Amino acid sequence: MAKSNAFTEKLRTKGLLSDSQMESIRQYEALGIFSLHNELRFFLYLAVLLFTSGVGIIIYKNIDSIGHIAILGLLFVLIGVGFYFCFKKAKGFDKEEVVFESPVYDYIVLLCTILSCVFIGYLQFQYQVFGYGLSSLVCSVVGFFCAYYFDNKSALSIGISGLATFIGITVTPKSLIESDIYSNPLLSYYGLALGILLIVWVEYSNKISLKKHFQFVILSFAQQLIGICCMAGLLESYWFIFIIVLATAVYYFYKTSYEMKSTFLFVFTVVYGYIGFNILLFKFIDVIDFSSFGEIFIILAPMYFIGSIFGFIRLIQHFNKEKV
Amino acid sequence: MIVFDKQLLENTFLVEEAKRLNDQHFISESELQNSKQQLAVLKSNKNILLRIGFFVLGCLLISSIMGMLALFTISLADNHFGFIMLIYTLIGIAGSEFLAREQLQFGYGLDDAFILAFQGFFCATIGITFDSPMAAFIALAFIGLAACIRYVHTISALLCLAGLTGAICYAVLELKVISSAFLPFVLLLLAVLLYSVYLKFSKDEKLFYYKNPIVVLQGFSLILGYLSMNYLVVRELSESLLGLTIAKGEDIPFAFLFYGFTFLIPLFYIAYSLYSKDRLMLIIGLLTFGFSIYTIRFYYHILPVEVALLLGGTVLFALAFLTIRKLKDKESGITFKPARGTETDILTNFQAIVVATQVDLKPMESESKMPFGGGGFSGGGSGGEF
Repeated sequence: MAKSNAFTEKLRTKGLLSDSQMESIRQYEALGIFSLHNELRFFLYLAVLLFTSGVGIIIYKNIDSIGHIAILGLLFVLIGVGFYFCFKKAKGFDKEEVVFESPVYDYIVLLCTILSCVFIGYLQFQYQVFGYGLSSLVCSVVGFFCAYYFDNKSALSIGISGLATFIGITVTPKSLIESDIYSNPLLSYYGLALGILLIVWVEYSNKISLKKHFQFVILSFAQQLIGICCMAGLLESYWFIFIIVLATAVYYFYKTSYEMKSTFLFVFTVVYGYIGFNILLFKFIDVIDFSSFGEIFIILAPMYFIGSIFGFIRLIQHFNKEKV
Repeated sequence: MIVFDKQLLENTFLVEEAKRLNDQHFISESELQNSKQQLAVLKSNKNILLRIGFFVLGCLLISSIMGMLALFTISLADNHFGFIMLIYTLIGIAGSEFLAREQLQFGYGLDDAFILAFQGFFCATIGITFDSPMAAFIALAFIGLAACIRYVHTISALLCLAGLTGAICYAVLELKVISSAFLPFVLLLLAVLLYSVYLKFSKDEKLFYYKNPIVVLQGFSLILGYLSMNYLVVRELSESLLGLTIAKGEDIPFAFLFYGFTFLIPLFYIAYSLYSKDRLMLIIGLLTFGFSIYTIRFYYHILPVEVALLLGGTVLFALAFLTIRKLKDKESGITFKPARGTETDILTNFQAIVVATQVDLKPMESESKMPFGGGGFSGGGSGGEF
């Protein structure tokens, strides 16, 4: 964080800062605060990811040599101890945002959630406790429980991706390019259904004011799901349904991003809308005979490109004005 | 020297400062708006997306101008290519001057495109005319510095530093001013020099308009200092640039020095940044420390990867936990309390989104090759960093 400097002084001499404000700035800076808050939280997060990756690899490599009961037992003890501390320190469920006294527990919750998923996955692998594909649903339930009880956004995201995995979709940036959806059209319907379900859930949660701060995470998942599924759907033969769905979704997210003042949602809304529009445009060009209009297209293409950038700039400018 | 009206430039920085004070809740929103109304400012885009959008537009504009000119000057291209480049440079400079003076653009996007373009064309002019990369590097250093000073342009500072470093590397590697084996030490010396220049500049009240280029200078010198002494960088570059072949059991000259510095420099950065409360240095220190661990693991597999991950995770967690406990109740100095005006919301949202990409929940049936849920190798990928 920048310190006060010549510009602060100048603001003072121009009368844009009062004496008392200047005084409070001086007092604050006299404390010499250098906050390591974000850095340390990031360390904890990284530590959890490293640790769980390590556990995953150990199990993978030694699946035959250590013994199943030993692995499961060890995991169970780890998870048990972790959750014991979390429950002891948790303030209990509340509709509003609750925070642990120390953010360390947020990461212990995350650790336990991921380890639980490893545990469940292992049980499924070795003993087929759950029916086909149900293990990810169980993971998802654990994720959602931890998310809502301990107020943990990362657990929420595990819960949602568990749901998506259950229906057979992975929601990662990579999956936008290489995904099963493109080869299996049925998946895009499932994905759309899940996306809409998530939106309904967010709207319902807002109504009963349940964990309103989860809105962003859930909506961004919903947006990616609907976006990916619509892209896949648009390449199919019955694409016109998806045009309607995509248009509705773009409209919804456009409005919501303004309400939430979220640049992230806004940018992806614009991107998905633009891709959808272009696919439509190409389908249109495909319908009319290309060869007779070839030269016009060559002239129009750069203009279309420049026009798109202009349009993009206008949209962002408008969004920024509203945001402030 | 500066192309802009001093008052307008100052006002631009003043509004930025008022915005910072507003973020830290020292002044109210209405007071911020009041400052914005009272102070006439230069046109600039603080939003990075807007700036990139205008930058792309600017690039299109420049290329269409160049394309038009190329139609007329195509006959010159065979023998007087340098001359064409010179014309382009002049057009670029004219465009930059126009945008800065008449349009009052300062970090708007369009102006960035023109400022960067004329530097590129100038380097091409010099490079082609003298037919030497050395001349092009020196030209880049000078024109970058000039653009940085005249347009208070941050990216130009980076170009200038890159040109300077490039020139020195070229002089040592190709012109053999001194033995190539000493290049790391020359670069370390350069980094130290640049850092001392940074120290001098950062205290100079007259240079406040250049605070962003000065930050670039600091970051560049810190990273250059580390990389010049990093074992991995030195070894790989000696193999590819100097054609050094290292037999088994042998090592590069001065290896012990590089091993030492690979770890000492990041540790020094971290320790000194905590002492001097310098966030940029701290972040660079942490990142370079991560790279140092990667360096060692690149050549020596001291531990199997899973043990390293487990151990790393545990140690990191313990370290962070102990530090938090120690800092929790501190109200001043180095503390765990969020500083005024920082949003922790962004971090938790980011973590929530990222964790979904790191944890693989695919339902694994017995035949499957990855028989468990959490964190496959995907997690280990980023793990190498720290």
